[in-house]
Amino acid sequence: MTVAAVGILGVGLLLLLIFLRVPIAIALAASGLLGYAALDGWNTALKMFGTVPFQLASAYSLSVVPLFILMGAVASRANMASELFQAANGLFSGVRGALANATIGSCALFGAICGSSIATAATFSRVAIPEMRRHGYDPAFAAGCVASAGTLDVLIPPSVLLAIYAIVAEQSLPKLYAAAFIPGFMLAAFYVLAVFAVAWVRPDWVPRVAAMQISQRLRAAVGMWKLGVLFIFAVFGIYLGWFSPTEAAAVAAFVAIVIAFGTGAMGWRGLWQALLETVFTTAALFFIVVGAFIFARFIVLTRFPTELAAWVQQADLSPVVILAAVAALYILLGTFLDEVSTILVTVPVTLPLVLGIGYDGIWFGIFVTVMCTIGLITPPTGMTVFVIQAQHPEIPVSRIYRATLPFLGADLVLVGFLIAAPQLVWWLPKALGI
Amino acid sequence: MRRWRSLTAGLCGGLAALALVGMMMLTVVDVVLRAVANRPIRGTFELIELLLACTFFLALPAAFLRDEHIVVDLVDQVAGKRVILLKRLAELLAIVVIAVMAWQGWQVARDTLLFGDITSDLELPRIWYWVPVLAGLIGSGIAAAAMAIRPDAERHERSQ
Repeated sequence: MTVAAVGILGVGLLLLLIFLRVPIAIALAASGLLGYAALDGWNTALKMFGTVPFQLASAYSLSVVPLFILMGAVASRANMASELFQAANGLFSGVRGALANATIGSCALFGAICGSSIATAATFSRVAIPEMRRHGYDPAFAAGCVASAGTLDVLIPPSVLLAIYAIVAEQSLPKLYAAAFIPGFMLAAFYVLAVFAVAWVRPDWVPRVAAMQISQRLRAAVGMWKLGVLFIFAVFGIYLGWFSPTEAAAVAAFVAIVIAFGTGAMGWRGLWQALLETVFTTAALFFIVVGAFIFARFIVLTRFPTELAAWVQQADLSPVVILAAVAALYILLGTFLDEVSTILVTVPVTLPLVLGIGYDGIWFGIFVTVMCTIGLITPPTGMTVFVIQAQHPEIPVSRIYRATLPFLGADLVLVGFLIAAPQLVWWLPKALGI
Repeated sequence: MRRWRSLTAGLCGGLAALALVGMMMLTVVDVVLRAVANRPIRGTFELIELLLACTFFLALPAAFLRDEHIVVDLVDQVAGKRVILLKRLAELLAIVVIAVMAWQGWQVARDTLLFGDITSDLELPRIWYWVPVLAGLIGSGIAAAAMAIRPDAERHERSQ
């Protein structure tokens, strides 16, 4: 059997196992082991199988992941979401769509700290949707707004997904975080514009709410201080040269615990629950990383990524056509795979391809992350949509999907900007000299 | 049985949580000492790696016992009652994968012990790093087996 045939069979086996309900981590490890053994014999394959988990689980660069997850688990228990929502509401107050835009702004900042789209959507589903419905917003639009805004966390630093991409693609995490700033906040701004567009087309969905007084706005704005402090430690500390990414994550997690205890928002029981949630999430996540690295060893052995990149160069296809094909692949995978698995499975193949047409690993990290935000709200498995529907079962899931369409449009506009003007990604890391 | 699984998962999670707290506190103290007294803790890097291995591998059996691994459940809409069979097959495959991983890990760990490998800074025996790895893998194998023999009624819905 040729190497190419083994490669295709290996990928086919992986997809088959995933569709047959095998946990993604196990499917990756099993198909990676069998493929590797078919190409290089059982002795080397088994040796690789025994060493990869050890090499990965004790890799210092991975320590950033559980520490940022811990910070998020504490933040989501410390009442920070509702305070942030009130502060953002004060900012937009008086404008049509103020509550929807407050949801977007607060989801962007809270999600960045929380690090989980699902947790952000679940939190704001309780905080923002009842408030929007109370003021006469269309329930499905309110849900679609939270489902979409909940995805912003994967792009805005400190993003756990970018940290995982940095590991699998061997890219600098500080550089990736700097690169994500402009596209991340641009996407939030596009979401705000999408709300204004909906308010213009369907004013009955987005009624005007009475403006808050200046004193109320100022009081609400003060409530943002907790997240502001966490941002200083988790993100700016890296660029001010205070910390490495792992140190920033550890200090920010510690500061989050101190704030939560100091303000009485969390006790020992809450801390213990946050710690347990963190280690259980970390175990499930790292096991996928282990499986993906085993599968990646097999893919590298097939030489499929380099041959695909060489074939594309020979075919002389336009970069836009290649990127459109890559984007289509991510949209397709995003309909059934979670974002971490999508990145871990595909990046070893797609990164060399994109490097071959003149983009770099930093740009691709941002591109692929934006594609993952799309996967989180597209049917049949839009995770943030499901989370909201579970809490508001009276809103039909099909209507929530329809309500996310304006935000999906905003995602695609950002993808267009990234392709047409890659400087959006490169400018800030260059300006910061990293 | 369910109660035992819950208690064991809590114990594994608790040990992993202690390692996580250790990782956080060690880093924070290192940063503070470096900033205040210009005296960072020697070997922080190696200790963090050890604690990270503990955090991940000690919590891994709990991920099996709590049925928390990410699964794509699209097939449920067409498979009907055969979903239970698919779940059983997936659980058996998980046992095989984990068993092979543990067996191969054991071989590499034995070599590490025989050669007496140590870390470069603190000169910690490398075998220490293998202890949580093997404990986690063997524990995960047992956990996967416990999940495979549970009654069908306990195979509740879990999806990605």
